Amino acid sequence: MSVLELTDITKHYLGSPPVKALDGVTLSIDRGALLAIVGASGSGKSTLLNIMGTLDRPTSGQAFVDDLPVATMSDAALAGVRSTRIGFVFQQFHLLEGASAVANVATGLLYRGTNPRERRARATDALQRVGLGHRVDHKASKLSGGERQRVAIARAIVGQPAIVLADEPTGNLDSRTSEAIVDLLHDLNADGTTIAVITHDQDLADTMPRQVTLRDGKIVGDSAVPATHHEPAAAR
Amino acid sequence: MRRLLPRRDRTSRPRSKLRTRDAFTTGGQGLVSRKGRTVLTATGIAIGIASMIAVLGISASSKADLIAQIDQLGTNLLQVKAGSDLFGESAQLPEEAPAMVRRINPVTEATSISELATDVQRNRFTDETNGIDVVATETHLADTLEAELAHGRFLDAETKTLPTVVLGSVAAERLGITSLAGAPTVQIGGRTFAVIGILHPLPLNPDIDRSVLIGNEAAQTHLGAEVVPTAIYIRADPVHVESVREVLPRTANPGDPNEVNVSRPSDALEARAEVDKNLQNLLLGLGGVALLVGGVGIANVMIISVLERRGEIGLRRALGANRSHVAIQFVLESAALATLGGILGAGLGAGVTVAYARQQNWRVDVPLEALSLGVVAALALGALAGLYPATRAARLDPAEAVRPGA
Repeated sequence: MSVLELTDITKHYLGSPPVKALDGVTLSIDRGALLAIVGASGSGKSTLLNIMGTLDRPTSGQAFVDDLPVATMSDAALAGVRSTRIGFVFQQFHLLEGASAVANVATGLLYRGTNPRERRARATDALQRVGLGHRVDHKASKLSGGERQRVAIARAIVGQPAIVLADEPTGNLDSRTSEAIVDLLHDLNADGTTIAVITHDQDLADTMPRQVTLRDGKIVGDSAVPATHHEPAAAR
Repeated sequence: MRRLLPRRDRTSRPRSKLRTRDAFTTGGQGLVSRKGRTVLTATGIAIGIASMIAVLGISASSKADLIAQIDQLGTNLLQVKAGSDLFGESAQLPEEAPAMVRRINPVTEATSISELATDVQRNRFTDETNGIDVVATETHLADTLEAELAHGRFLDAETKTLPTVVLGSVAAERLGITSLAGAPTVQIGGRTFAVIGILHPLPLNPDIDRSVLIGNEAAQTHLGAEVVPTAIYIRADPVHVESVREVLPRTANPGDPNEVNVSRPSDALEARAEVDKNLQNLLLGLGGVALLVGGVGIANVMIISVLERRGEIGLRRALGANRSHVAIQFVLESAALATLGGILGAGLGAGVTVAYARQQNWRVDVPLEALSLGVVAALALGALAGLYPATRAARLDPAEAVRPGA
């Protein structure tokens, strides 16, 4: 069963000349999947991430997150979808620097109206899951890069979202730390978390069970789908 | 019921929620993480509120002090004076007026005085009158007015018949007699009178301060004056002052009650307690300008803050905050910032008031309503100043705001 279903998605940006950032993208992500969406810069992967994450709406096409028709929802309704169904991990972490690790993770539940006591308890659990049980009350600004990204991952999973979207999760980390983060993503996926990693890094993508390749706003390869189903790929 | 409909429940539209308490803590977080900026920004509001509260506090303290003085002097002293008759000629009180006034039940004391048509000089070589009145009176005037002597003693059963005088404080000063050393004398109607006492100032009776007092009997004996009451001082039971006041004209002069003026000397003092409204308004206006400038400062800082915190705003939107959640966060932050300034300012204003009142030896009166009003005004101003920055924060495109370098 799919947690995310995109059908013939296009996204055009007005301007001169107008930009077709996405051009007929169809993508289905099953519950429990771990995949990489890989593409060079300008391939449309950021736009795709925004639409998958309901930060933006497509110009045309159908989009469902956890069966919710997100392509046509209001801004406020999309906020509701994000608060309950989607976890984000960003390349630049986006932590509240002055706050503790556990407070940062707890903000993942802030906009669900969960009470503070439960937020803290679940945030502590999430920190344990990412291997930061010993850093609960450390200030975010005092943590290393790898630890910061673990805090961000804990924040993304604390609400048990339908899907975690990780945007270049290793982009700001050295190779050894990156490996540990990739291992963590695998572990979390093994425990049942659906994760989509968006990256330009083919090596990172190669570590994922499924790879979706994006070029010029089109999907040109998907390891989960026979190559013949993708006309541009077949034309290669 | 919900559990019976799992499918429908799962697809019902989710909504993001922010608890009220969390909204407040989120709004406060921005201030705590930028302490230096918070204090500097709040200072503008603090100065505005402090100056307004100090203006109100200082004038309230000065007023409280005057009222305390008046309470101490008593508000139960009444004065009956001969007014003028139909033709504008100055009228006289009937001779029996003091006795009749004394018969009013709540009247505890009544003493008449008679202004004499004569002058007083320091010695026989000068004709300088110094604007001092010569007044004949009874021996219990001091009791009625609760007058205290700075030097010597008041007229008594013996001295009321002798050529002796008691000086009011201003009269003594003008005559250059500051003590009884050397047995000073004055000239009245060409005769020498010995000074036996000098009064302390009487705040309720400046007329007496400017007078030289002699006994009724002495006035008749030594000056050959006809003693007709020109005024009567009355002490009444404080509860019945108003009713006494009403019956006084008819009692003092049953024939022509219209020719009698009744007044309460403490009223004049109370009028003085009403501070200069114009000056107060001007100072309040200046405080208001400071407050306004403080408000603009807050709006400015909040706009900068929104620009700096695009990433945080994007993150919060990604975490599920809707536009109102973001707007509320910034409005609350702005309001909290201003409220902080308001509290600082209220404390500062109260401090200035206390210090100034102490220095002036006034009793301290910090108006509590002004303090709470000041804080509430700051809060409202802060919320108002935060509206525009909050709108800008809420309108940020979440997809743009989470981008690196944005």
